[in-house]
Amino acid sequence: MRFSRKTLGIPYAVFLLLFVVAPLLVLFYYAFTNGQGQFTLLNLTGFFTDPNTVGTLFYSFVLALTTTAVCLLLAYPTAYILTTGRLKKNSVVIMIFIMPMWINFSLRITALKEILDLIEGNLAYYPFLNSVIGMTYDFLPFMILPIYNTLAKMDGSLIEAAKDLGANDRHAFLRITLPLSLPGIISGVSMVLLPAMTNYVVLDMLYNSTYIMGSLIGSYFAAYNWHGGSMIALILLGIICLFNLINDDDRGETVKTGGALL
Amino acid sequence: MKARIVTAAFLITSVIMTNFIPASAAAEADKPVVLRVCNWEEYIDQGDWDDDEVIDLESGDVFGQNPMVKDFEDWYYETYGKRVKVEYSTFGTNEDLYNMLTIGDVYDLVCPSEYMIMKLMADDMVQPLSDEFFDPTIDTNYYIKGVSPYIRNIFETHDINGVTWDRCAAGYMWGITGFVYNPDVVSKEEASTWKLLENADYKRQVTIKDNVRDAYFAAVGALKSDLLTSDEFKNRPDYAMALQDEMNDVSLETVNNVQEYLQQVKDNLYSFETDSGKADMITGKVVANYQWSGDAVYTMDQAEEDDYYLNFAAPRESTNIYFDGWVMLKKGISQDPAKQQAAEAFINFVSRPDNAIRDMYYIGYTSVISGGDDGRVFEYLEWTYGAEDDTEDVTEYPVGYFFSGDPDDEDYILTVPTEQLDRQLGAQYPSSDVIDRASIMIYFDQAQSEVINRMWIRVRCFNILNVPVWVWIAGLLAICAAVFLILRHKAAKEKLYN
Repeated sequence: MRFSRKTLGIPYAVFLLLFVVAPLLVLFYYAFTNGQGQFTLLNLTGFFTDPNTVGTLFYSFVLALTTTAVCLLLAYPTAYILTTGRLKKNSVVIMIFIMPMWINFSLRITALKEILDLIEGNLAYYPFLNSVIGMTYDFLPFMILPIYNTLAKMDGSLIEAAKDLGANDRHAFLRITLPLSLPGIISGVSMVLLPAMTNYVVLDMLYNSTYIMGSLIGSYFAAYNWHGGSMIALILLGIICLFNLINDDDRGETVKTGGALL
Repeated sequence: MKARIVTAAFLITSVIMTNFIPASAAAEADKPVVLRVCNWEEYIDQGDWDDDEVIDLESGDVFGQNPMVKDFEDWYYETYGKRVKVEYSTFGTNEDLYNMLTIGDVYDLVCPSEYMIMKLMADDMVQPLSDEFFDPTIDTNYYIKGVSPYIRNIFETHDINGVTWDRCAAGYMWGITGFVYNPDVVSKEEASTWKLLENADYKRQVTIKDNVRDAYFAAVGALKSDLLTSDEFKNRPDYAMALQDEMNDVSLETVNNVQEYLQQVKDNLYSFETDSGKADMITGKVVANYQWSGDAVYTMDQAEEDDYYLNFAAPRESTNIYFDGWVMLKKGISQDPAKQQAAEAFINFVSRPDNAIRDMYYIGYTSVISGGDDGRVFEYLEWTYGAEDDTEDVTEYPVGYFFSGDPDDEDYILTVPTEQLDRQLGAQYPSSDVIDRASIMIYFDQAQSEVINRMWIRVRCFNILNVPVWVWIAGLLAICAAVFLILRHKAAKEKLYN
């Protein structure tokens, strides 16, 4: 029996329909209805008029932004050093960065908690710092890998050409390497920023007094308020979409600049 | 192409059908009853004990070889000559269970806490227990023969919409709330009050539960401390009822006070924990930990393995007495007598004194079973806590309130090492003066719940109005700078290419 491309796609289409599209519809339904099943916008307006929920969104965003910035600052030089190949055992170093991903994350966070406790004495005095460290620890590989991939695929002759034309190292990096690695940075950022806004499990395990968007959804569900919780999930989804739109623009831009550079 | 897939699908289904139909028809007679049980995580004996864990009571050994559920299936077949298949699943919190049920999960028998039982009863989701279940002359009715008179009395005197709890629910485990504390740092006096939460001497070293009900109870206890501990209040003839009313006070004024209180003590606490409190207590990260008595026993047991001795204290204002109980769900049982019989048999089986002992030993909580005529539960207590002959500092510890309903019953007095009063024994079987100040926390109706939940979100959330002005200005400046830089960069590029 021979399968056409279409038939091979059926399993995934079914999966998509059952586990992505259907839940999304349910999410929409809950977000825009009240307990009696009537259409309402109260969940939406309620979220944006309550200083507590908006405050939590703000706090989560600042936390996620800091985490992303720290991740980027750590990941970019690392990926750069890895690709420029000054290290002899490159694959070993890459392995060291990827290995944590193979270890169960709850185990890693528990270990991190003990280490931080040893250094700080009492975790409870530094909730924001600890949250950033925990998130960074958890998400760093997601930032390194895409950046490493784009940098590794980059054509080295471009740098040589730049240098031939008289650019020094700094110029070559700023004008060639950095713009060309932008897609890697963007996908790294999108893989860190949004999970960092909601991944409260890390914080729960580390130090459970930092309250972020994920915890808020949890609180709504614990109070059987499916509607409020769904609306928050939907708002986060909206933020992701917004982010991706900007992202797409930038990507077009990069291709253009890349082309222009050539 | 399409036709071929349809043919294939048809072939597969017909193969499945032909395989199954005759089999099920033949097995119709002894088809097992499927019993869907949903219980708390780690809340039943899973068996597989080490050989040295055998509980060697005088009246015989108690030992968990197989999981309790497996033993029940075997016992059911031996007793009733019918097969039962238990589909056992677990839940994490009462709220999770309720959400699972509203999503459409169907169970026959579930084991929520008292307030959730009340909610399920109010929602008319509970199938009442049958009359046979309450007949003590039936040999296998271990629950009604063995349930503690103290627990039975509570179940018979509390009702929801006129239906007493005992008609619908059979108790499983019970306990109280209080603080596990490190006696080297915190004194018993300091740990015996909800005001420990605001005690600045232990700044950032005390944890509280991350759920609204437990936090609310503690805050009310701390706020009303003076009233609740006054002699005048304690000597009131209707003390028990008055206490319950005070602890379940959800007037707007109290909710506001609780909110203010929790917001204040938030900075004094180590964390609002869901499950990490036990480990933080054992590793010494915190010096006191708001805990349910069963988990307190577990914490103390674990710490003891490292020769680290922790104590437990029930606050002097009031302690929250809680129950987890079995209820049958209408939707699951759906008027199937075979199913209902299996469900009630399950309750009776786990209530058999030796099985109650196995569960208690395995999970650390306290069974509602006192054993009735069967003395094994009391024997187990002596086996666990009784003083050795060479112990010097011993105390007589009456537990008659639980075993016979008479606090002064001389048949139920344990002789225990004095230190046990503040340790596992005091948590697992609280003394009768602790019991006197125990209060049930009832379920709140929808309007009240909404008020309390909103209060809780306010306590836990970050209020944007608390952001200082300079942060706004700094943020605005940063955004302006970024926009400016991008625009300048773009302009420069345009210039370059044109």
